Amino acid sequence: MTQAASDLVFLVINGLIWGLIVALIAIGLTLIFGVMGIVNMAHGDLYMVGAVVSYYVSKFLDNFWLSLLLGPLLALGLAVPLERIIVRPYAGNPSGSMIATVGLSFIIQQLALAIYGGVPNKIPDPMEASILLFGLSYPTYRIFVAMVSLTILGALWLFLYRTSLGILIRATMQDREMASAMGINTGRILIITFAIGTVLAVLGGVLAAPIRQVFYLMGNDVVLLCFIVVIIGGLGSLKGTFITSLLLCSLEGLLSGFLPPVLARAVTFGLMVVILLWKPRGIYGD
Amino acid sequence: MHEPKSERGLTFKSYFVCAWFVILSVLGVVLPEGPKSLIIHIMALCIFAMAYDISLGYTALCSLGHAVFFGMGAYIFVYSILKGSLGFLLSLLLSLVGGLTVGILVGLISVRLTEAYFVIVTAVIYSIFHLLALNLTWLTGGDDGISVEIPGYNLGVFYLSVYNKSVNYYLVLLVFMATYLFLDILTRSKLGRVLVAIRENEKRASFLGYNVFHYKLSSFAVSAAFSALAGGIYALSLRYASADFFSFHWSILPVVWCLIGGLGTLYGSWIGVSLMYLFQYYVSSWWHFYLLIFGVLILFILRYSKGGIVGYIMERL
Repeated sequence: MTQAASDLVFLVINGLIWGLIVALIAIGLTLIFGVMGIVNMAHGDLYMVGAVVSYYVSKFLDNFWLSLLLGPLLALGLAVPLERIIVRPYAGNPSGSMIATVGLSFIIQQLALAIYGGVPNKIPDPMEASILLFGLSYPTYRIFVAMVSLTILGALWLFLYRTSLGILIRATMQDREMASAMGINTGRILIITFAIGTVLAVLGGVLAAPIRQVFYLMGNDVVLLCFIVVIIGGLGSLKGTFITSLLLCSLEGLLSGFLPPVLARAVTFGLMVVILLWKPRGIYGD
Repeated sequence: MHEPKSERGLTFKSYFVCAWFVILSVLGVVLPEGPKSLIIHIMALCIFAMAYDISLGYTALCSLGHAVFFGMGAYIFVYSILKGSLGFLLSLLLSLVGGLTVGILVGLISVRLTEAYFVIVTAVIYSIFHLLALNLTWLTGGDDGISVEIPGYNLGVFYLSVYNKSVNYYLVLLVFMATYLFLDILTRSKLGRVLVAIRENEKRASFLGYNVFHYKLSSFAVSAAFSALAGGIYALSLRYASADFFSFHWSILPVVWCLIGGLGTLYGSWIGVSLMYLFQYYVSSWWHFYLLIFGVLILFILRYSKGGIVGYIMERL
């Protein structure tokens, strides 16, 4: 392979792996919207919380891998009070929930600024090895991230489509009132859904921490990307969100080889506008 | 959402508006320089708040993208003086027209979407413009911004320059009053009534034969135009514009102003602007993490303000 071609492959693979992390986060976002009717502006900040947790765990416990366990536990602890106190009153009210979660986002960011500080930090690569891929030396950790993301997404699919609780969640997604009339405890379903979404976002942050810089505003960029993904793929569509995040992130990865990142983002934005004009509910939206 | 239904509600509205105008006119003579510029900023932001109220309060279009129009207005103003060497009045007019154009373009993309898509798409549009404003420093000057020297008008006996604080004050007051009168007439016209009908029940309005898309688009465009005018006025008073004019604050603050004062009242948002401005002015100076309080405040106001302060008063009249 020529140098130029292998550079391109490298860019696309990088984008694809980033796309798998984004898929984790965006699927949480779309699931929460699909079931609860809530647009969570603070979703990116939950991702940031995950990254900050993995920074502290690798620093003080000297073991990055523990954060894969501690992050989700913290997420579960956070999700229940957040859902009950802040998010629940706005179920089925997209605008209201968006504004409420903007407030939540400010609170999380400022707390992170107060505790963690305003300086970006880097976490050392937990694997410090690389493997040969298409004639390129590629960091093993990124391959590991891809595997973990795929496993989590596969498990989520099995949970939603092969367990009885998953069926209840999908029923609530289709029609909350009807599900409630059928005797499903929708309140419990809402909490479970919000917890799943939060855990996914935090896990995304934990996995991304060694690849990206840990910064208290790192969520803003990701939430923007997730919104574009979700709009193109179709709000509430899991399949659409998954496919779009892979395609969009590979595209952005490829473009970042030629353009400054801002312009690459502007191109994806232009793509979103074109698709919205063509299909106002996204590609896989109903 | 609280229209003055009763005779007494109407009287309250006219008393309130008249009192506000009279007090502002008098304050322009009495106040010293410092507090005067404070009031100038508050009036400029009141224009922004009223413009936003047209969108959220009257049409239930919850946009998180109004920072785009505000920043756009500011930059159009600065550039028409810098590159076009126009006077400040003409530049303000250009801000208004520019805002209208951008509003129509953004509206064409977003207004026909469903509620959830609309909020998200406006938020995405805001983010992209903010990113561009921060990065295209050759155009926007980034965070440092672009300063501008505003030439005055020579009226023979009197040189009309905004560097004279009183001229600046009464110019902003005049634009503020004109905006209120225009928007008040607009909301009481047929157009305004149809907008309220769409807000209350979009389906029914379309069954009655109204083209909901056109009405929403007009509402959004008017709202964008006056937001841009507010941006121009703000840039005129500060004599500069920076990428910060596109920041998220200017998208979320209008929502908070309108919620505090009372949605769909126009004059209610003035109370919201004044309270929030004083809050920011004092709290941000003594606490570094004042955004934390701001976040808590957003949650509380959204949860517990049914009709805002004006709604509270109206219920007791």
